[in-house]
Amino acid sequence: MLRSEHVMARLQRGRLVPHRLSPEDDRVLDVAAELCDLYAANVGSPRAGLERELALREEDLGPGLDARRGFRIVRALSKLLEERAGWGAPIGSDPYTLRTRVFELAAALPEPPASERGLLETPTREDVLSQVAVETGVENPGASMYADRQGAQLLAEFDRPPPETLVRRYNVAQIQGVLYSARDLVVDLAEGSDARLIFHYVKLLGLIYELEPLSGGYRLRLDGPLSIFGATRKYGLRLAQFLPGLLLTSPWKLSANVEWKNRDAVLELDSEKTGLETHYLGPKAEREAGDVREAFVKAWDRAKDTGDWELKRGAEILPFPEKKTALVPDFTLLNSATGELVQLEILGFWSERNLVERVALLREAGGRGHRLLVAASERLGTSQEALSGAVDGGILPFKDRLSAKAVLSALE
Amino acid sequence: MIELFYEAGTLVATGSSRLPEPFVWDGRTRQWRAPANAYRETVLGLRNAEVPHKDRAATFEKVPLESRVAMEPRPYQREALGAWKREGLRGVVVLPTGAGKTAVAVSAMERVGRSTLVVVPTLALLKQWYSVLQDAFGGTVEVGLLGGGYHEITPLTVTTYDSAYIHAERYGDRFAFVVYDEVHHLPAPKNAIIPKMLLAPYSLGLTATPERPDGGHELLPDLAGGIVYRRAPEDLAGTYLAPFELVRIPIELTAHERFDYAQAEAVYKDFLEKHRLPMRSPEDWQRFIMVASTSHSGGREALLAARRRREIREGAMRKGVTLETLLRRHWDDRMIVFAKSVEEVYALSRRFLIPGVTYETPARERKEILDRFRVGRYRAIIASDVLNEGVDVPDAGVAVILAGSASRREYVQRLGRILRPREGKRAILYELVTAQTGEEHTARRRKEAFT
Repeated sequence: MLRSEHVMARLQRGRLVPHRLSPEDDRVLDVAAELCDLYAANVGSPRAGLERELALREEDLGPGLDARRGFRIVRALSKLLEERAGWGAPIGSDPYTLRTRVFELAAALPEPPASERGLLETPTREDVLSQVAVETGVENPGASMYADRQGAQLLAEFDRPPPETLVRRYNVAQIQGVLYSARDLVVDLAEGSDARLIFHYVKLLGLIYELEPLSGGYRLRLDGPLSIFGATRKYGLRLAQFLPGLLLTSPWKLSANVEWKNRDAVLELDSEKTGLETHYLGPKAEREAGDVREAFVKAWDRAKDTGDWELKRGAEILPFPEKKTALVPDFTLLNSATGELVQLEILGFWSERNLVERVALLREAGGRGHRLLVAASERLGTSQEALSGAVDGGILPFKDRLSAKAVLSALE
Repeated sequence: MIELFYEAGTLVATGSSRLPEPFVWDGRTRQWRAPANAYRETVLGLRNAEVPHKDRAATFEKVPLESRVAMEPRPYQREALGAWKREGLRGVVVLPTGAGKTAVAVSAMERVGRSTLVVVPTLALLKQWYSVLQDAFGGTVEVGLLGGGYHEITPLTVTTYDSAYIHAERYGDRFAFVVYDEVHHLPAPKNAIIPKMLLAPYSLGLTATPERPDGGHELLPDLAGGIVYRRAPEDLAGTYLAPFELVRIPIELTAHERFDYAQAEAVYKDFLEKHRLPMRSPEDWQRFIMVASTSHSGGREALLAARRRREIREGAMRKGVTLETLLRRHWDDRMIVFAKSVEEVYALSRRFLIPGVTYETPARERKEILDRFRVGRYRAIIASDVLNEGVDVPDAGVAVILAGSASRREYVQRLGRILRPREGKRAILYELVTAQTGEEHTARRRKEAFT
């Protein structure tokens, strides 16, 4: 993430256009590559040196990239590289003990330690330092006494990205930077976007949502608990953290009210036109669950007899706003004879807490007249005990694959 | 029955079909919700009306806070505390820098005797309050820190406005009492949301200068309470604040430095003139950087010259030697040296082997250094701007300013450091200014602003 001083955007008739670099522009890629080189070349060296070199690069590379904003662009790119760096301590001995001893010895002298030896033979700076050297075995206490300062840290490791990746990260980071000043965020989710993923991030970030059905999708309005007492930018940081999560899926349209330099402005994005790439990997549970769900669809298609039941992908979102969550089932099962609708959710990785929460939501959904099945794999969970406990609450357990038969018998 | 809950900086009530302002019906989550600071008024209202209710919101506790440090409060401190108690343990106390605002806060904490949060504007003050509270209450409670890389929440925690803005919603149910140091920072648009996230029924604001140019001080009664007690520096001068002597020492550049300086100055001034750039404010400086960094003819040279010019001025050889002389002269007088930059602090600390204190110094080490300075075990310390704005340095007899910016506020507050009352003492403030350079002008402006 960038600091606010790195964030740049243009205001055009009330609309914000965040600054962007082209990942195809050779000039841009050269600068990105040069910065990566600089970091890579400094592995094992102190931070202060790297920072000095970066400052020089700002002056060299910046103006060529953009006359006015070049400095800031280079600074922003290096900030993003810093996130890929690991820092280590420089020396074995403890600089705090070292300098404390130095100060104590110096303060105990009847006069300040002299800088050079004179006729009066007052103790010198060198005398103090060599006494400490003898006591501690540290060769040069004068040089090491502040070795724990940040600038003395060593660049221990650097995860070097390809220049294109850095530029793409920059483009997302600039939009995130604009969102720091956002008061709310409205996302229109069209058919095909993964609402479960989105609610995962809503919940993770402690945001509050309002859900409104649209034709062929949903409108999700996001802000925080205090927003109801008046618009606040307090949740801007979290809305910014939400964005890369949203970028994991599509299609959607986003619009945010932003307080930009004391003016009201709007940021708008369309997933089909952004060309943005996220750096989030997505929740692990969801990555696993994808395979299990595909396997189930195949199993259903191969099944000889599914009675009157038909399987459809997608389902209605069941919101539980007071719990700050929602159920987003994967499938709808329709009984063509009776017209009965049952929704099915297949869990990926689950924890005991997930199951307990699911059972509570199932009960509440039942109270609202919805019939819902939640299937959980024995393999993808943490506690067999919890799973058998949850069976009574309506959770359907399965081993490696969820079979059509198991679902059908649960439906009966 | 009405039940109250604390939820992410807000107060949520269930079990009632209607609740009075400031509760509103939150259609998003189908609950009655109010800002957390509605807690005091809400609970008092329910109690007075004898409405059955259950308080599941507050998790603060009684803490036996009794200061270990012997204190004889000065009369105005006692008056301030009395006024604050009469207003229901809520309000702002205005006292000049150096008049012992912290002591008032410590007495207030003893009086409330419950979990307390102290909110301060800077990391330096964070560390200073840690040290004061550790001295006063360290025997009975652990002092917690939130901000500046620390994240330890205890029933007696110090945090910064910035960290409180981010984290208050997670801990706002744990504190019964909140102290806002330098409370004039609280009405800033970002900070004003902090009290809303705290249940704390009791609050105390401290400052020397409550007024804000943006008129924000009118929000104070809502945020921390109205002004309950106020004394101006004139009310206390003489009796409680020691007089001091100001000594300005001009530092002449050496012949060699003068030559280098004149060269760099010529390159820099030529560039300014060529591009018709004025140089009167920090914005002018930024403009110069921008123009110079994009100019193809001579921009880079001008930047380097500007840097060199500044280096010569700040690193003037005679400045270091003069400081050495002053150290020798005042080796027994407890001297505090203010340097311009953090780097300068560490360079001089290495050179003279006296402890340096900057915003980087860890809280415990900082306390140790200042404690040792206080008892005379260290004779001199060198600090960057961290010791500004209300940070206590006990009983420094001599202060030296190596180079400072022309801000009036900064100057006065730095002086405040040695304006501690002390028996029969006259404090001396030295200001070392490089002659024949821009710094001279800065110093004159500052002096004029002060008198």
